Amino acid sequence: MRRADPALWLLRAVVALFILFMLAPILVVVALSFTSAGYVVFPLPGLSLRWFARMLDYAPFLQGLRVSLQVALGATLLSVLLGVPASLALARSHHPAALAAMTFLLSPLSMPMIVFGFAALFFLSRIGLGLSLPALLVAHGCVCLPYVVRVTAAAYRGLPPALEEAAEVLGASRAAVLRHVVLPLLRPAIAAGSLFSFLVSFDNLPLSFFFGSPGTNTLPVVMLSYVEQQFDPAIAAISTAQLAVAVLLLVLADRFYGLGRLVGQEGGG
Amino acid sequence: MRRLLPLAPALLFLAGFFVLPMLDIVGRSITAADGSLTLARYALLFGDAFYLRAMAETLALSAGVTLLCVLAGYPVAYYLVRHAGRWRGVILFTLVAPLLTSIIMRTFGWQVLFARRGPVNLLLEGLGLVEAPIRFTGSLGIAIAALVHVLLPFMVLSITPVLQSIDRRLEEAAAILGAGRFRAFLEVTLPLSWEGILTGCILVFMVANGSFVTLLLLGGGLQTLPLLIYQQFNTTRDFGMVSAMSTVLLLLALACLALQLRLVRKGG
Repeated sequence: MRRADPALWLLRAVVALFILFMLAPILVVVALSFTSAGYVVFPLPGLSLRWFARMLDYAPFLQGLRVSLQVALGATLLSVLLGVPASLALARSHHPAALAAMTFLLSPLSMPMIVFGFAALFFLSRIGLGLSLPALLVAHGCVCLPYVVRVTAAAYRGLPPALEEAAEVLGASRAAVLRHVVLPLLRPAIAAGSLFSFLVSFDNLPLSFFFGSPGTNTLPVVMLSYVEQQFDPAIAAISTAQLAVAVLLLVLADRFYGLGRLVGQEGGG
Repeated sequence: MRRLLPLAPALLFLAGFFVLPMLDIVGRSITAADGSLTLARYALLFGDAFYLRAMAETLALSAGVTLLCVLAGYPVAYYLVRHAGRWRGVILFTLVAPLLTSIIMRTFGWQVLFARRGPVNLLLEGLGLVEAPIRFTGSLGIAIAALVHVLLPFMVLSITPVLQSIDRRLEEAAAILGAGRFRAFLEVTLPLSWEGILTGCILVFMVANGSFVTLLLLGGGLQTLPLLIYQQFNTTRDFGMVSAMSTVLLLLALACLALQLRLVRKGG
């Protein structure tokens, strides 16, 4: 029915450019990670895994990876323990105080991270935490909390209250309702929130940067100082590995919890 | 009371470890070395040409990046909602994939693309457009492209839901009344999607104001507030001045947040 429509073709061209623009910088790094050359050159002179080997040889990377994993797992656990009960308490209330509390819990999303990093360093040093793993955990926890709260609250709002009422009518205590009805139904949401929280913490640079010390340098901090000093494909290898793990986590989470449904809810048509 | 109990730990945690540190910075910015109150740092920030320029460059860069994101993001959101069909999955993937990559990977990607022997120079030479590789390093254009790359998905994802909620019969009505397609878009669709555009703009502007990794690695010759915070923290270690600049960024972010909330309330 539709004839060749110049406006639509223009729109298509814009979208094609958009896809190229968004994917090119990522794909080029993935390609570079398999180069056999010792520097950045295209076309790749040959394929090799030497940069992945280099990544495993370079002690600061591994040390950074360990710190990042500890911080991301710890901050995520902290956010779930704090965030899930708070989301359940707030999600269904329309009271102005509840809305204000929700805004407050989500507010770290809007604050410039470099400012919070600087502020947290001073404050936590003052109360004796300084450049330590617990200090990093607490700072990351503040940033991860909103992700868990947002996803959990949205999912809880979507649960029909009738389910809980039915359990209560049948004589279940509030604790039993939470344990046997609400939490099992919210498990995919909590898993999704935890995954976001983990990825956000793992990739956080502006915050971790201020807590730099040999024992508290996270992977992004180590990578930043590496790229500031040299321009070679080692960063490509480590970025590609990180991307692969993130994709794997997402696929696994989708398999076990059906994140697709959760994320796709707003998709519509 | 029973409602407050599950809420208290999260609120106390943020109050203690998020709000207090920020207030501490504000306090530090107005406290002189001898402990007395002072506005000297703000006098310097708003009186010295160097700092005024840094603030102007921060705002100008964020505004420019926001504008580019609207111009590029609106057509993509429009296509995604109205025409995507089987391309929908590809576009959604394109929007989400960057969120799985580290900020360093993306920044590094721009360095690689425009490296002396990178793909762009290869292409330009292959097409015979240049004879020797161009040195792109440190160009402002690449830094801006990299910032847009980070922020564009947020813009598209802000506009999409609003476009989706527009009743298409309104456009049909405009067409029946004799409006051309372009005029119907300009006078019906665009005004109705205003809210999504504004939401996206505030979000992008807010995040752009605080970003520094991109400019730090790609250069571009700008001195923005986050860069100055980073540099002065590392070199001069004048923490009073760093606190004052941080406070300015903080107030900017709070203003954006307030605007965002007003918009949400109005939208109901």
